[in-house]
Amino acid sequence: MKNTPFHKLPPRAIRVWQLGSSIGNLFFFGIPAVYAAVFGMESFHFWIVVTSSVIIALIWVFSVAVLPYLSWKNWRYAVDAKEIDLKRGVLIKNRTLIPLSRVQHVDTRQGPLLRWYNLASVTISTAATTHEIPALDEVIADRVRDQISKYARLAEEDV
Amino acid sequence: MHVWLKKMFEFQRQHPVAAVSRALSLIRGNLITIIVFLVVGARSESFPFLWWIGGGFAFLLIVGVANWWRFLFKVENGELHIKSGVFVRKNLYLSKDRVQVIDITSGVLQRMFGLVRVDIQTAGSTSREAAIDAITIQKAQEINRLLRADEYADESEDQQFKPEEKPHKEFKLPAKELLIAASTSGSFGIALSILATVFSQIEPLISESELFEYLFETLPSQTDFIFFLTVIVIFVVFAWLLSFFSTLFSYGNFNLTVKENEMVITRGVFEKKRVTVPYNRIQAIHVAEGMIRQPLGYASVHLESAGYGDEAGTGSIVLFPLVKKSEVLSLLDEVVPSYQKEMSGLALPKRSLRRYLFRSTFLVTAATAVLYFWLELNNWIWIIPLLALFWGWLKYRAAAVAWAKGAFIFRSRTLSKSTAFINRNRVQNLTISQSPFQRWRKLCTAEIYVASGDRGKSFSVRDIEAETGIWLLNEMQRRKGSETKSEPLEKDDRIIELPGWNQAAN
Repeated sequence: MKNTPFHKLPPRAIRVWQLGSSIGNLFFFGIPAVYAAVFGMESFHFWIVVTSSVIIALIWVFSVAVLPYLSWKNWRYAVDAKEIDLKRGVLIKNRTLIPLSRVQHVDTRQGPLLRWYNLASVTISTAATTHEIPALDEVIADRVRDQISKYARLAEEDV
Repeated sequence: MHVWLKKMFEFQRQHPVAAVSRALSLIRGNLITIIVFLVVGARSESFPFLWWIGGGFAFLLIVGVANWWRFLFKVENGELHIKSGVFVRKNLYLSKDRVQVIDITSGVLQRMFGLVRVDIQTAGSTSREAAIDAITIQKAQEINRLLRADEYADESEDQQFKPEEKPHKEFKLPAKELLIAASTSGSFGIALSILATVFSQIEPLISESELFEYLFETLPSQTDFIFFLTVIVIFVVFAWLLSFFSTLFSYGNFNLTVKENEMVITRGVFEKKRVTVPYNRIQAIHVAEGMIRQPLGYASVHLESAGYGDEAGTGSIVLFPLVKKSEVLSLLDEVVPSYQKEMSGLALPKRSLRRYLFRSTFLVTAATAVLYFWLELNNWIWIIPLLALFWGWLKYRAAAVAWAKGAFIFRSRTLSKSTAFINRNRVQNLTISQSPFQRWRKLCTAEIYVASGDRGKSFSVRDIEAETGIWLLNEMQRRKGSETKSEPLEKDDRIIELPGWNQAAN
């Protein structure tokens, strides 16, 4: 079917996602907090607050301890002279093919979290959609970006 | 007015009417907000309503005038330069050798003052657009002359003024077809929501009026149910009338002209719309058979074009408002001969049917059951889940994919049945996805994205064979000249001919 090897993301990506979702998903604890502030903690309101807090805590633990590892395990990307091939998804598996002649521009991005771990993400834009390879090693990300833009220039010519 | 004597290479303003048209377009753009605002306003008693409305309009006019005052344009050395923006100055440069399309149109407002609107689009993947809202015809002609590349220099864009080269082919919409299109148009929902808003506005007035009392008294059968039914029927009739006339006015005088390397579509009775589509911008073609139109054997043909967006930013253009299903293919052969339009494809396997039926009926049935027990409705309400079941079956029947050398056909149904023709070299990306349930049943969902306007549009078919998904990926990856066999295995009865409009059974 295909002779280009698929690459994995670096294992450090798991750490970044764990950190990111542990902070980001704290926001959900605001829901029972607000509820408690509005309705108080009397009688059955108390139980609603408690159960929702427990459920959110479980989700939080799952999103920190399990989900990042699973997403990392399911992420694969391949770039060759003709197309970019992305596989991702924990429950819903996606596979996307992007012909290189359709690539309009490629960027690398790096937020503070990614920079802390010396990672960067590569964003691929076509006229219709934007795709991201998240959390690659800085050096690799630059290499992938250069590779894609070189191939894209070549592909432009033989369309 | 010395302003009008300015030369093209000097900065100049548009005609003052542009201020009004700007204000109107602001109203049009924020219609929903304004309506919500009005509804809320009408509800509250202490609200100095008229003051607010008057103030709002005054504000809009001021914004319009400010925009008009700050909008300057000139053409110099084959380059259009537009300065605009009230607080933030924007500069836009369009050079002559990049200009691809110049459309000269006139709306109702412009026509009252004998003015025109000029839309200019550039070529390329990152195409830019500029619009000059209101200028005199002479000026528009001059801009056109100065900005068209030399081979077009003597060719005028506006047919009213100079006869131009003989167009290859012309298509018009016959009156009968126009009437059918108007009476079966799908803008029902929009019309209904507009009506509902209006009704909620005047409802307090009505319920206090004597007429309403009188109606209530004289209506046969005092049940609320019948009364509601009557109201709903009246609503639907009104909505139908609304959509009938709006379609009539926007697609009257329809004309499609096929030229050497572009096609020109003009339409509209009061508000003349004109769209020029160069062939190299066409990304996909899709044929829609609406719920009402399909049994009558009619369909509408649309195309997706890149880099040209309407007000909503999508590049969907109606190529033909209504055409007999049996004539679609010959029409497309005339307009876009480069597309391969017939290939053998695959319908869905039997095991997908269950998923389709479940998806379409699950929520509806649950909601119906809740309503039934909660409101103690009568048993007729159970027709709704049955209809949903039928709808699911229709969706299953419509879904199919086909692929041949460098081309795809995706057929599916939401409400109307849509058949999309996509050439491989226009595909922005192909995504195959699989949920756990689909994995278990060895099915997957295929989605193709194409460019449309300044964003994308996607065509998808759900629950095709997982194997078919692999075939599609293979077809996408096929190298030029390499002859991998990518035909489906001739092994079962799922092979159908797409689009299959010429067969009676469909």
